[in-house]
Amino acid sequence: MTKHLQPASVAYILGLLCAAGGMLVFGDGYAWRIAALVGLYAAASIGFQLIFGRLGLLMLAQGALFGLGAYATAMITAHLGLDPWFGVAGAIGLGAMVALAIAGPVARLESHYVALATLALAQLVLLTATHGGEWTGGSNGLYGIPPLSFAGIVIVEGPALALVSWCGVLLSLVVAAAVTGGSARARHATIREAPLVAAALGIDAARARLILFPVAGALAALAGALQAHGLGVVSPAVLRFDVMITVLAIAVIGGRGSPWGAVAAACLLVPLPEVFRELESYYLVAYGAVLLGVMVALPGGVDGLIRRALPDRTDTLPPVQPLRFGTETLLAEHLGKSFGGNRALADLSLCLEPGSITGLIGPNGSGKTTALNLISGIVGADTGHLRIGDRDLSGLLPVRRAQAGLARGFQHSVFPSELTVLQAVSAGATLGQGRAALDLVGLTARHDVPVGSLGAGETRLLDLARAVATQPSVLLLDEPAAGLTASERARLSGVLETLRRAGLAILIVEHRMDFLMAISDRVVCLVAGETAASGTPDQVRADPRVRAAYLGREAAT
Amino acid sequence: MIETALHLLPSTLALGASYALVALGFVLVINAVGAVNFAHGELVMLGGVIAVGIASVLPDGLAAPGLIVLPGVLLASAAAGLGLAALAYLPLRRAPPVNIFISTIAVGLIIQHGVTAGVGPEPRLGPPLAPGLDQSTMVIMVAGVAIAAVHLLLSRSQFGRMLRAAAQDPDMARAIGVPVGLTIAASFALAGALAGTAGLLLSNQYFVTPSDGANLMLKAYIAVVIGGWGRIWGAAAGAVLIAVFETLIAVWLSYAVAEAALYLAVFAILAFRPQGLFGDTEGRRA
Repeated sequence: MTKHLQPASVAYILGLLCAAGGMLVFGDGYAWRIAALVGLYAAASIGFQLIFGRLGLLMLAQGALFGLGAYATAMITAHLGLDPWFGVAGAIGLGAMVALAIAGPVARLESHYVALATLALAQLVLLTATHGGEWTGGSNGLYGIPPLSFAGIVIVEGPALALVSWCGVLLSLVVAAAVTGGSARARHATIREAPLVAAALGIDAARARLILFPVAGALAALAGALQAHGLGVVSPAVLRFDVMITVLAIAVIGGRGSPWGAVAAACLLVPLPEVFRELESYYLVAYGAVLLGVMVALPGGVDGLIRRALPDRTDTLPPVQPLRFGTETLLAEHLGKSFGGNRALADLSLCLEPGSITGLIGPNGSGKTTALNLISGIVGADTGHLRIGDRDLSGLLPVRRAQAGLARGFQHSVFPSELTVLQAVSAGATLGQGRAALDLVGLTARHDVPVGSLGAGETRLLDLARAVATQPSVLLLDEPAAGLTASERARLSGVLETLRRAGLAILIVEHRMDFLMAISDRVVCLVAGETAASGTPDQVRADPRVRAAYLGREAAT
Repeated sequence: MIETALHLLPSTLALGASYALVALGFVLVINAVGAVNFAHGELVMLGGVIAVGIASVLPDGLAAPGLIVLPGVLLASAAAGLGLAALAYLPLRRAPPVNIFISTIAVGLIIQHGVTAGVGPEPRLGPPLAPGLDQSTMVIMVAGVAIAAVHLLLSRSQFGRMLRAAAQDPDMARAIGVPVGLTIAASFALAGALAGTAGLLLSNQYFVTPSDGANLMLKAYIAVVIGGWGRIWGAAAGAVLIAVFETLIAVWLSYAVAEAALYLAVFAILAFRPQGLFGDTEGRRA
């Protein structure tokens, strides 16, 4: 997305270079050892940012993965007698594998159980290490872990140790940028803040987790392994909750999700215990107080402060990538759903043909939103089948349906506040496609403002554009005209007309009859979950059951 | 084997009753604010420390030193619960629940290390409830009275109805005139008082150590998994189950195995019955 570094990144790099220069002039052996420790925590915390900051999961096993890395390399070198670099590689592999193994199960949990499950895992690792007998050295741990060496230099102390550790930081920054940079940022933000929307846009949250979890685990294990070789010992202390607390504090104080913020916060926090050593427990009280203070007063953390002073350059407008819609028919047959004993929808059959607009109307509680939820897969149907073209979508997850060409707009849409309009609209597409969708709804001039600064009507149009940018065959819209001004409504009609001519099959749930009847080719009316009428707008308008259901309502709206 | 188990029955039930108090307070906060209170174990530990503190200024030879300190512990821990609400919840009440998870971790750090810095890290012996009587029996009785009082409060009082209304739908409760802020504050105070009582009850048989908190919080969290998210009596029953499970396996094999088995059981429940062991499949509290 950005070929050049952001101003804030330049500031971070300059700050680090100054610190490195200061260390070269004034650093003693002790200072170098602390610098090495800072680097290790920075690397582990950058990994944690991927899961906690980007995916929004309070995964409390990052400290355990750090300790796991330390134990892995200790056992590989001490028991198997292999070269320390093999140990480090083995630790990275093990950390990645364990994190990959928990990615799936953890994601299925409700968010309030993620912390417990990962905490329990961490406790299990700690118990295993403490009671692992000769293999883990029990509560004493393992001694005499050989140091790393490179080109004949044994890396035990001073600048060499710090250099290795900060090479780890550099690697972490590069890897983090690779997996979270560019369009991934908008995808992760949407997964985190609006998981249903993400699925409806075809953003595969499971796939994002399968990438970010192992990377986070590998970085934690790398940091732990480097620490084991630097200290020459590993004990169950590396698996205690303190490591996790430090990593969490670094992530929050640095600014959630920000790798550079984690580096800055590690520089600020990790030396604290050393500086305040004579105060013993009091520094941990201060730790808690600073953590709480930042949570309350500085939600963006250090990174938020720095980026307020040095704002990111926003993206220049990318060239338009013309939208190519699929032209396939959606066929729904006999869809039905009951909640408890209440039948919400019975036997709904729909055929949405390319280049047509179908209106779905009905009084409140008649099953319109249920119909949209069944088609998009947010709610599983009790009965019926759904196809797009010759593909059977019945029973598929929302994300798979979206990938098969089904797009959906939301009545109450959520946009991650950290994104610009262009980033937000491109969450399920490329920036070029996002630009094309902005052109379509007339929001191109606003592409670089934060998405939260749009008005209510503009936000509704942006929601439509975001769905359209995914190049669907079929588009489902839930009350797209609600809350729009007359001129915005006219703009919406124009957009829908363009989309129909481009060959999209469109289904619209709407309360505004005048608006809907004017643009629909066909109208389906639901009453109490059943299809009361279906046909051209005139036929439906004249239908006695529809008139009965709407008596007095049409005039009111 | 069976004889040992029978012999251990009173102390196991006493442990279970104390855990149940811990879990009750933990769920009250979950229902009030929809978030996990990571400092809850620290409130338990703090209750124990307060009990030790008050008991140390009492004259020797009293018939019931533990019962005499109880009112003081109740008051001080309720105040601690309110303090927790003011620090960790009030400033973040409009933020997502995960922020409250973290702010309570921060307050937990402050309490744990504040106590360590203040009185030292070593374990301390709390006062027996009534030295002439069996401690386990007394613990079960005190905990039983506390649980009955909570039950009456929640099921019979106007406060209980407001609490349940606010937990189910804060916006709706506010709309019909329930003072939601006050209800939340009262939940924290009640949670603190229950935690403090548990701290006092545990302090004689298990000592009070400033680093105990995390472990106790974990037990309450696990009790919630067993009982189902937000289910008050489910969590209390879960807490008793944990005590029985732990004691049985610890006697049979070892305490480390018991702990490991408990965590494995957590994974199994989360994987196969995330709605809890006693809950129905449909009725899940958001």
